[in-house]
Amino acid sequence: MTTSAISTSALSRSFGAHQALADLTLDVAQGEVFGLLGHNGAGKTTTVNLLTTLLEPTAGDASISGHSVKTDAAGVRACIGYLPENVQFYDNLTLLENLRFFARLSGLRRPDARIRDVLGFLDFTGHDTQRVGTFSKGMRQRVGIAQAVLHSPAVLFLDEPTSGLDPEGVRTLRETIVRLNHEFGMTIFMNTHLLSEVTKTCTSIGILNHGRLVHHDSMTNTLAAFPADESLEDIYFQLDSAAA
Amino acid sequence: MSDTWIVAEKELLDLRRDRLFAILIGFLAIASLISVAVASADFRNQLDAYNLYVTNLAQSGSTVTAAAPQLFPLKLLRGGIEYLEILGALFAIVLGYGTIAKEKYRGTLALFLSRPVSRFSFAGGKVLGLSIVWLGVVVVLTAVSLVAVVTIGHAPIGGIDVARLLIAGGFAWLYLVFWTALAVGLTALSTRLSTGLIVALVIWLAFVLIIPQIGDTMDPDNQVPGGLFATLNIQKTDELSVLAQFSAFDGIRNGLEVSSVTKHFERLTFAFLGIKDQYNQLPLGLVWTAMLPYAITLTAATLASVVFAALATTRRTLQRNQS
Repeated sequence: MTTSAISTSALSRSFGAHQALADLTLDVAQGEVFGLLGHNGAGKTTTVNLLTTLLEPTAGDASISGHSVKTDAAGVRACIGYLPENVQFYDNLTLLENLRFFARLSGLRRPDARIRDVLGFLDFTGHDTQRVGTFSKGMRQRVGIAQAVLHSPAVLFLDEPTSGLDPEGVRTLRETIVRLNHEFGMTIFMNTHLLSEVTKTCTSIGILNHGRLVHHDSMTNTLAAFPADESLEDIYFQLDSAAA
Repeated sequence: MSDTWIVAEKELLDLRRDRLFAILIGFLAIASLISVAVASADFRNQLDAYNLYVTNLAQSGSTVTAAAPQLFPLKLLRGGIEYLEILGALFAIVLGYGTIAKEKYRGTLALFLSRPVSRFSFAGGKVLGLSIVWLGVVVVLTAVSLVAVVTIGHAPIGGIDVARLLIAGGFAWLYLVFWTALAVGLTALSTRLSTGLIVALVIWLAFVLIIPQIGDTMDPDNQVPGGLFATLNIQKTDELSVLAQFSAFDGIRNGLEVSSVTKHFERLTFAFLGIKDQYNQLPLGLVWTAMLPYAITLTAATLASVVFAALATTRRTLQRNQS
């Protein structure tokens, strides 16, 4: 029996009169790579913000590795890694100083050896003493991944991780996600617009439409339910328009 | 190592490489130094003129003893104190605002808030980091001013003068921390970044410039350069009996002045440095006795400001303003 790494129950969030997320009930098993799809404003980032405790739900609850986002937010934060969209760092600080800062906040007391391991894993060595302000978007994204996995979290949240990356960057990121999942068994929850990447990396997907989950199944089942010549893009548009 | 210290350490590292910070502190240091240097040069001229006069008297065979001028070397720091009062407070606001605003607009706040950190570590670390920065600034300014007074003014500085200077430096530090913490709290509370800065600047304008200026303008002794009563050769006892006729007016004037934290800082530093004549010959113990209420209120105001920053800069308010 697989246990849930992420479990939500009627999770909802509204901003004034606007219902950004309504009654999201979802389970993501340990070791899965889950892709949350949806058009702009569908509620994907709100979902990630709720699951990472950056937002408080207006109704419902969610648990990450058994920790409730409502009653044990500190427990949630201790077991997650988070890469926001357009991740930014302290530009005046070097790569090593930035990573040391986030590692210490995550409870690593002597983080240098771990930082070097992670940077080696990401094939991102030789930039330790370079200020992050001089880094390209792709390099920042790697630093973003590094800071998110330094403390070996059980669940990794990625919000539009491919946003603004060139094709080379997208491929590197995809390979990194797959390796993190395969080598460390990390559960990965990602929001993305890039459907081709979802097909290559995700083991299950969910589709949000105007704050409601309109589809949730494994990638295999989702693809099998439609004619073989249909791409995920075709399937996505069919499911999304059917829900609208 | 606590989360608060980790944040403070990062803040110190970040500020050390921050160009705006270097410019602000450099400007403050140069302005203060020029002020002290000019006053020291004037002090030296007065001292030289007196020494020359004494030499000439001796050479002329006169047995008359020339009265030494009443020169108090710490008075030379008046300009530096006034810069700290106005510019120091302004720069403290800018740094307090900047430390929160950068986190918000850069987007690093989301990374920070996703970490398992304690409730007050963000505000605590920010205020602690900036307090250490201001401590360093005050120590450097005090040391440089002291060196300027001794080397340029050739002023005799004794142990008691150093003690007075250290006490004044302590109050300067409290005053700067007050403004920095206030700006941190206001910026954290405001949804729009500029609102926090504008509110802090309005408070600065009211309490640093307008209220003290109204108080000064209402002071009868300030109506004539050099002091009204001194110009009219009115003795202190007579001055007090004249002022007694205007006690209600003076009560209002004093009430206005003491509503400003800047005036508390000014009265404390002017008393301990002997810039106010009535204190420059008093033993330190008596100055403490006279200034204790002001010392208590400045300390209380700074503590209140730090508590306000801590309460305003919680995860909840930061998250609310993020969304």
